[in-house]
Amino acid sequence: MSKKVLLFAVAILFGAQTGLAMAANPDTGPGCGLGKLAWSDYKGQKEIAPQVMMATTNAFGFYTFAISLGTSGCTNDGKIMSEHKTTVFASLNFDALSAEMAQGQGEHLASLATLMGIPAERHGEFFAMTQERYTSLVQAGETSPVALVKSLNDAIAGHPVLAQASVR
Amino acid sequence: MLVHILALAVTLSVSAIADAQPSDPEHYLTQLIEQAQEKRLAEQREWHLLLHYRKELFGGYESEQDDPRFFMSSKGKTDPSAELSATLAQFFSDELVGRSQQPAQCAFVARYHWLKEQLAFDPSRLPPRACERFQHWYDDFEVDSISLIFPSSFLNNPASMFGHTLFRVDQKGQTEQTRILSYTVNFAADVPPNSGFLYPIRGIFGSYRGYFSTIPYYLKVQQYRDIENRDIWEYRLNLTETQLQRFLMHAWEMGNAYFDYFYFKENCSYHLLALLDYADPSLHLTDEFLFWTVPADTVRLIVSKPGLVSTSTYRPSRSTVIRRKREFLPPSERDLAHRVTQDIGELTSPAFSQLTPVKQAFVLDLASDYLRYQIETTRKDPKPELKERNRAVLTARSQLHIPSEEFAVRPFAKQPELGHKMLQASLGGGWRNNDTFEEATFRGGYHDLLDPEAGYTPNAQIEMAAVTVRHYNRADQTRVERATLLNLLSLSPMDSVFHSPSWRLGVGMNTIRHHDCPLCSNGVFNAGIGGAKEFRLLSRGVFFAFADAEANISKAYHELHRVGGGATVGMLADLTERWKIMATGSYLYFPLGDKSDDFRWHVGSRFTLSQNWAVRLEYNHRDRDNDVLFRVQAFF
Repeated sequence: MSKKVLLFAVAILFGAQTGLAMAANPDTGPGCGLGKLAWSDYKGQKEIAPQVMMATTNAFGFYTFAISLGTSGCTNDGKIMSEHKTTVFASLNFDALSAEMAQGQGEHLASLATLMGIPAERHGEFFAMTQERYTSLVQAGETSPVALVKSLNDAIAGHPVLAQASVR
Repeated sequence: MLVHILALAVTLSVSAIADAQPSDPEHYLTQLIEQAQEKRLAEQREWHLLLHYRKELFGGYESEQDDPRFFMSSKGKTDPSAELSATLAQFFSDELVGRSQQPAQCAFVARYHWLKEQLAFDPSRLPPRACERFQHWYDDFEVDSISLIFPSSFLNNPASMFGHTLFRVDQKGQTEQTRILSYTVNFAADVPPNSGFLYPIRGIFGSYRGYFSTIPYYLKVQQYRDIENRDIWEYRLNLTETQLQRFLMHAWEMGNAYFDYFYFKENCSYHLLALLDYADPSLHLTDEFLFWTVPADTVRLIVSKPGLVSTSTYRPSRSTVIRRKREFLPPSERDLAHRVTQDIGELTSPAFSQLTPVKQAFVLDLASDYLRYQIETTRKDPKPELKERNRAVLTARSQLHIPSEEFAVRPFAKQPELGHKMLQASLGGGWRNNDTFEEATFRGGYHDLLDPEAGYTPNAQIEMAAVTVRHYNRADQTRVERATLLNLLSLSPMDSVFHSPSWRLGVGMNTIRHHDCPLCSNGVFNAGIGGAKEFRLLSRGVFFAFADAEANISKAYHELHRVGGGATVGMLADLTERWKIMATGSYLYFPLGDKSDDFRWHVGSRFTLSQNWAVRLEYNHRDRDNDVLFRVQAFF
């Protein structure tokens, strides 16, 4: 099966049609094919007329934001498979992560560190390391979230303190 | 002897076989159904909550749930008792049921647990099934507590004051920094792409289906905070271990459900309340909403339950962060941050390099916030040069090698639970020309510029379904004085960073004096666009100006109508915490239909007595018409 990257709503991944994302069969795709993320087609803030209409429809609108994602293999009953949690997170939050890496702190960065098994008391070192390597990490992240996570893992392995502290 | 023993053995084994016959499950099922009937389980509130039954107006029950696969009996939607018997029967079977395709014990795990408890199922006669999918799903939450999440309204969009609510399943060991990793339990309508302009209308009449989903909180934060620029309020609920289990078990069942989505009542908030009602049946939350469910009202209701909310947290939107950071900086640095977003060359300027590294970091962070705000809110494609500039700003930022300092952001609007309620009734009296009057008003929703502002987005108004009946004493006439179908207004103060226009839109009627008609009903449609500017006098206030278009229909006019346009200027300001004033002046010229013009002015003043009580004094002048009105308003 080819990893078709389709324009899909978040809902597909996390569950509109299938309720709490209970697929008729649990997703058993050929691996989590994450495409590049884009919050495209999002009309929310950009024009007043659609905005007014949208407001009336506040609680609607899975489809107001489209995200290109691989079709399957990332979730089970609406939960991201544990082996994909880090890459899915890195992919869906790349903009925030880039900013926070440059700023040397932030909740997205702390969450990523947690997903990568770095204990809270070592987050400071992790933040400093990502700030130090900001340029190369962002370059890696622009290729793919997998590359970003790999670069981070390599950097952790080569870091005197983090390599010890990391659970993985 | 041997024969006897053999005979006995045969008898014993026959009876043993008889015990294991398929007739035992049937027998046991019959027993369970009888027991359930004796205990009147199908009439219990718990069962009704599980199946979402509501009492019908003329007796009987109907479930609000609309997916036929949610019921085990074909009569399940309207017959709680038949559904209960069919559910018990299905528990004996391995057949895959529901949209999630699992054995009934697993697909409807909350029903199973409740009935097992009530009827004390004998595990040898009704063996429990291992529900691995449920167990994995449940364990993955690592549930510690549940939080109610309320994204407040869009900037510059009063209609979104209705808000939205969702739940977040807080994880064990979660910190303030990692709470974005938890999952949400969200209910939303499934609106197909390209569904056209009419989809809100269809939403009102229930032609879309609503589903539950578990979207990670970080995506919701991205949507509300970063893209839609809505502040988020988070309320952590006090639920016991058992209540948390019940909440999630029922949420799992809801994966098999869909509900026809009715924007006003059976909406996101309503169905979320139902989940909480099941977690703690003593709350009776859904019972409080008969005709509509406004998300902000559900927040007020939940907060009002003693001990239900343990803590509340504010999560500012990106635009709020930008505004607060700008306020914090002296004007020269504020301008510098803005120049950086336009020209990266500023980073080498003396103005920037003479700043301390901590200040440089602050300026760069603000510049990046603003560039990201622009990228999200710019029409068409985000301009590549904006992204490039943001990258350059961040690269410079990373080279400072210091972490950004905490910056505590205060909200511009107070927490939603402090807001007044949605319905309003008022009584008042006054003078009009040479007559006196008394009047009564009812307003279906929601908030106007002069209403007590706590809990509401400042400078925004949405009025719906309002009607005023007035009695004139000298004319001895009682009439519908004013009516509003819809009246929206948004003042959005401009500065060098934010430049959204202000706008307004109104459909309704009022009573005019025109030509020979002293009191004539007048249909009004108006729309306007303009700008607003913030000022500080005693406290925060805004000036505004609109270009207006207006159409009127009345028998007072020649040709029964007039169409025209004009301009309005005005100001709105808080004099004290409780006292607010507004003044506007307009000139309108109507070249079409009844050729005429109007000079209008209005001065209004409101004093807040308490969260749900206020008094107002207003003076209205239009053309030769003068009207003074004093009234007392109650929100309920």
